[in-house]
Amino acid sequence: MNNITLELRKQARKLLEDQVVQLVIGYGRGSDPFRVTPVFVRHPDFVDSLIWNPFCINNLAKYLIEYRYLPGKIAVVIKGCDSRAVNRLIQDNQIERDKIVLLGVPCTGILEAEKVAKTTGYQLELERCSEQEEKFTLHTSSGDFSFAAKDSLITKCYSCYNHNPVVFDIMLGPAAKENPAAVKYSEVESLEKLNVKEKSEYWDMYFSRCLRCYACRNVCTACTCQECIFNQAKPAWVDRINNLSNNTSFHLIRAFHVAGRCVDCGECDRVCPVNIPLRHLNQKILKDLQELYDAPIPGADLETGPALGCFVTEDPEEFM
Amino acid sequence: MQYKVLEKDKISGFLDYLASKHNLMAPVSEDESFSQFKRVYQASEINLNYTNTVIPPKNYFFPPAENLFSFSAENGGIEIKESRQAENMVIFGLRPCDINGMSMLDPVFNGNFPDSYYGPKRERTILIGLSCQEVMPTCFCKSFGTDPTDGSGADLMLTGLENCFLVEILTDKGAGLLENAGGFFSDESVDKAISEKKLLRDKLAGAFLREPDLSGVKEILDKNFEHPYWEELAAKCIGCGICTFVCPTCHCFNMIDTSRPDATGSRYRCHDSCMFPGFTKMAGGHNPRPTRVERVRNRFMHKLKYHLDRYNLDGCSGCGRCIAKCPVNIDISQIITHIREVVKDD
Ligand code: SF4
Ligand code: SF4
Ligand code: SF4
Ligand code: SF4
Ligand code: SF4
Repeated sequence: MNNITLELRKQARKLLEDQVVQLVIGYGRGSDPFRVTPVFVRHPDFVDSLIWNPFCINNLAKYLIEYRYLPGKIAVVIKGCDSRAVNRLIQDNQIERDKIVLLGVPCTGILEAEKVAKTTGYQLELERCSEQEEKFTLHTSSGDFSFAAKDSLITKCYSCYNHNPVVFDIMLGPAAKENPAAVKYSEVESLEKLNVKEKSEYWDMYFSRCLRCYACRNVCTACTCQECIFNQAKPAWVDRINNLSNNTSFHLIRAFHVAGRCVDCGECDRVCPVNIPLRHLNQKILKDLQELYDAPIPGADLETGPALGCFVTEDPEEFM
Repeated sequence: MQYKVLEKDKISGFLDYLASKHNLMAPVSEDESFSQFKRVYQASEINLNYTNTVIPPKNYFFPPAENLFSFSAENGGIEIKESRQAENMVIFGLRPCDINGMSMLDPVFNGNFPDSYYGPKRERTILIGLSCQEVMPTCFCKSFGTDPTDGSGADLMLTGLENCFLVEILTDKGAGLLENAGGFFSDESVDKAISEKKLLRDKLAGAFLREPDLSGVKEILDKNFEHPYWEELAAKCIGCGICTFVCPTCHCFNMIDTSRPDATGSRYRCHDSCMFPGFTKMAGGHNPRPTRVERVRNRFMHKLKYHLDRYNLDGCSGCGRCIAKCPVNIDISQIITHIREVVKDD
């Protein structure tokens, strides 16, 4: 058991026992050693189902939208990247700050489960994880396995903006080292260098395989509309018919709908079952917002409103 | 059953031959972690070592978007043009769980009320199975009484062995295909290949990480339409529908009419998902499955009970795609085990 897990259970137990919160949303053991699953704890007797390990990938802030009408307060476990989403939800009046208790995790990166499993296989129990000097050690029923952070993390963690939550009520461990030198937009920059035809071919190849399952939307904390335009039957803004043209409309509309509000949590990218690199699309917009409006990453703080949701006289007006 | 042997060095020749004579669909790896069945023109495009494609091959009979007919009211009356294309097809490289998945779909579209779009496509297709070489961590076909080398449901079954492929001729359609491609096959060392296949089958049978016990599960579900367990699952489900889109046996669709200002248009059917809130929404706004609890329950009831009630066939082939792709780790193999436990506890 690592210290964060112990602290998490302790805090969750206290919050539930003292009836500060009615529900704790956190991570629990998944059906494979390297999978986790969201768990919803309503009673102090069940806090031991909560865990923290370097596979806790989901952005749990999304559930705040689902459970916001629950009587009482909700505690939720958040990493640095997820914490920006919480600010965004508060800014959008999707949830009140008073309604939530944020259990912040100082996060040093999420390990890529498939990469890890190539070394370890799946036939083992993950007992605990420890970390030292850019190295993760998994203590398992089949012995210890070590992985260097530099080649075992998921992509987004290499360019992490906030290893520590930007907003929290209780921190579950000592602050993690931030990485200010992280390269944020290298992949977008190489895509920008392509000519129009190449760009079009790149996205056509991906958009044509989209299933229109809408997982990218459902997992996204910037998507909070009661009725999404892609579900509206009358008028049918975009046909449900799965083809390149409709799929392209879907993706471009969604990218614009979340522009200035996407916190780059990478969840859309993670969940896509057909590996469409949605993060490239959203990061291009983030990069433009930064270059045009000097806008910080959305959700970075509660005071800075969304770049496209406010007007400043210094704004460039290139397109007017 | 009749057997043949195809030497390893002849497989590309055979596939090239198939591609030249037929519309050949086969597994293609598009990138590191995305694979699908696709029209191929030569053997070199095919990935023979794939584990399981992301997109199930059911899409050939039940496409994600299918034009049913087009209409035009331009000249006063209404003119309807039916769109019913069924070309001859050979699908090569189907894994046993996918072949099984097709057998589970057949009574839905080809049962008492034959669907005139599905049936002809299925009729004109030859299915060539390919035994698995490894069992993925998410696979659990074994629980449904099949195995990774079981060709039932296909026309031909190939099993890759050390030096050759064992070819099982399972239907007349399969025999017909081989008759014209005789040059590639031989009868030599068939017995040796058969015993090698048995060894492979035993080896793979021992390699499953998931072996949920299905016995009694349907009976439990018969009695537990209402159970708090469904709420527990629904709490985490994000209602994305990935599980249904990647499933080889899911078959729900929506009908969509599109019309243009010039009084022409078409009717399509498109894959739909019982995990979507609008799926059961009726005219007038009533929704009999108003929350995720009813929707999640429906999916697992359909897989593990309703399909059995209706067709006496399992509704899941154990392919493990939904397990691999669910963003929140809702895992049908685990549910099968859990259901037995939670009910025992009651
Ligand atoms: S998750 Fe992927 S496949 Fe599903 S709608 Fe989004 S982009 Fe398309
Ligand atoms: S668009 Fe993608 S990266 Fe941006 S907030 Fe939504 S899920 Fe996260
Ligand atoms: S894939 Fe998982 S989260 Fe998505 S609808 Fe299916 S069960 Fe729910
Ligand atoms: S329910 Fe899941 S495991 Fe079963 S056939 Fe469908 S995708 Fe495969
Ligand atoms: S479920 Fe069975 S048949 Fe399907 S890929 Fe896995 S081992 Fe092969």
